[in-house]
Amino acid sequence: MSISTFFGSLAGMYVAQSFCHSLVASVLMDQALRAWNVNDPAIKQRFRLTVVLYPIFSFPFYQAINPARGNALFRLNALFDFNRWLNMNLWGGVSFGHLFLIVLAITSLIFLFQEMIPILRHTLESRTMEHEGASREPDPFIESASRALSIDTPRILIAEDDELHIFSTTGKNAIIVVSTGLAETLTPDEMHAALAHEIAHIARGRRPLVLAAFFLRMILFFNPVALVEFRRVVRNEEKICDDIAVSLTHRPEALAEALKKFYAVSETPEPDVKPKPLFTPVPLEEYSYNIQLDGRIERLVQDPQRSTGGQWFLLASVFLIVACINYFIV
Amino acid sequence: MRSKAYGLLYILLSVAAVLVVLKVFNWLPTMFQKDMMRRYNSVDEVQSKLNIRELRIPAYFPQSIMWPPSEILAQGKPYPAVLMIFKDVRTKAITLVISQGTSDAFSANTLVPFVQVTRKVPFDLKTRKAILEVGSCKDDEPCSRLSWSEKNFRTVITMKSPPFELIRIAESMLE
Repeated sequence: MSISTFFGSLAGMYVAQSFCHSLVASVLMDQALRAWNVNDPAIKQRFRLTVVLYPIFSFPFYQAINPARGNALFRLNALFDFNRWLNMNLWGGVSFGHLFLIVLAITSLIFLFQEMIPILRHTLESRTMEHEGASREPDPFIESASRALSIDTPRILIAEDDELHIFSTTGKNAIIVVSTGLAETLTPDEMHAALAHEIAHIARGRRPLVLAAFFLRMILFFNPVALVEFRRVVRNEEKICDDIAVSLTHRPEALAEALKKFYAVSETPEPDVKPKPLFTPVPLEEYSYNIQLDGRIERLVQDPQRSTGGQWFLLASVFLIVACINYFIV
Repeated sequence: MRSKAYGLLYILLSVAAVLVVLKVFNWLPTMFQKDMMRRYNSVDEVQSKLNIRELRIPAYFPQSIMWPPSEILAQGKPYPAVLMIFKDVRTKAITLVISQGTSDAFSANTLVPFVQVTRKVPFDLKTRKAILEVGSCKDDEPCSRLSWSEKNFRTVITMKSPPFELIRIAESMLE
């Protein structure tokens, strides 16, 4: 099957158009967030989720309302016909479409190795793993925070580990596991802030919006825009849980300090490791993690203004504009 | 209030910028590759510029169909293909579409979409093996389609009419 035949088929059109549609949606949603200076991570997450989910349905929806969208006449009058690029010969027998397929293949591999396999492994491990550690003494703060978020009070286990770790499991019997290293490093206020953040994750895990989005997003495993936008959704989730934690503790500086201690650890080189050469790139995951922590600390210290409402109207307006433009992108 | 107005202006400018960028990016490939799908004024222009020898033109047209074609779209790459769209003299609606191309991916079936195909039969078209489809389009209008392949070229003729005129048009292409 030639490149032009593939991109002329329904499957090829879906691949090409969902990419273009998500790109336009991403650019305009970004501009809308900037235009109205939206800082609330919950609002930002809705915008990002729109970018992730809308291209899954855009092509079939447009084809259903106008099956003639794929024909040569519509393409000629379209705002943008991606097939013009995909069929363009670059050199020899290589077309732009070949390069595009390589980008899609790389994106699919990143999705497989950085999202799909780790999530499957985590799911399997959390089902079979017995969490070991001593139970922490009952804490009135944990009980009141859990009550405030309408969840059962989670068990808190202290695991013997010098590294700084805290994580939670969701499900019926949620558990928060804290390493001894972390318990010794954080002050009581900082520990409450960190625990409140995990309680927020457990509470939000009961409304598994991100999980549902992930399952739908798997359809666009090949789409690099969806890959980036979904990571932004996950980052927003962390910020949302930060905000919930602050609303429970009323101490943003305590959470900021706790995050700084994580940040300091991730920045400190291990003593027995040889210094890296100057131009050795920092691993992407680590770099991204540090940037994220940095951003979270900054916004906690600055105490950003919360949303004043009316954002649903904004989201709907921008979405309509995006949907209208994308109808004419084939 | 003022910041909301600025926000609105900013997003409108962003939309305008996106539209301009899309238009420019849609036009750019035509600068690099001259023989991709575009409009032509006449069949002669298609033949001279794209050098498509296999292109066939009907010698017979019913009087209800406007000549010349209202649209002629053609490309040399990624594969040679020509699409001719004809309108009805009275209603000015698309009534006949002739597509010729070397790929099965090239089809203009959606320009005269069938709602229902009632008969699909093999048809001998001057020694060529063709397929004749008869059915109805929107508003129960009778529609018919005749398709055949010759060398690498696949020809599909779709018309909003019973098959009799369609067969005469097709036969006149092979004379």
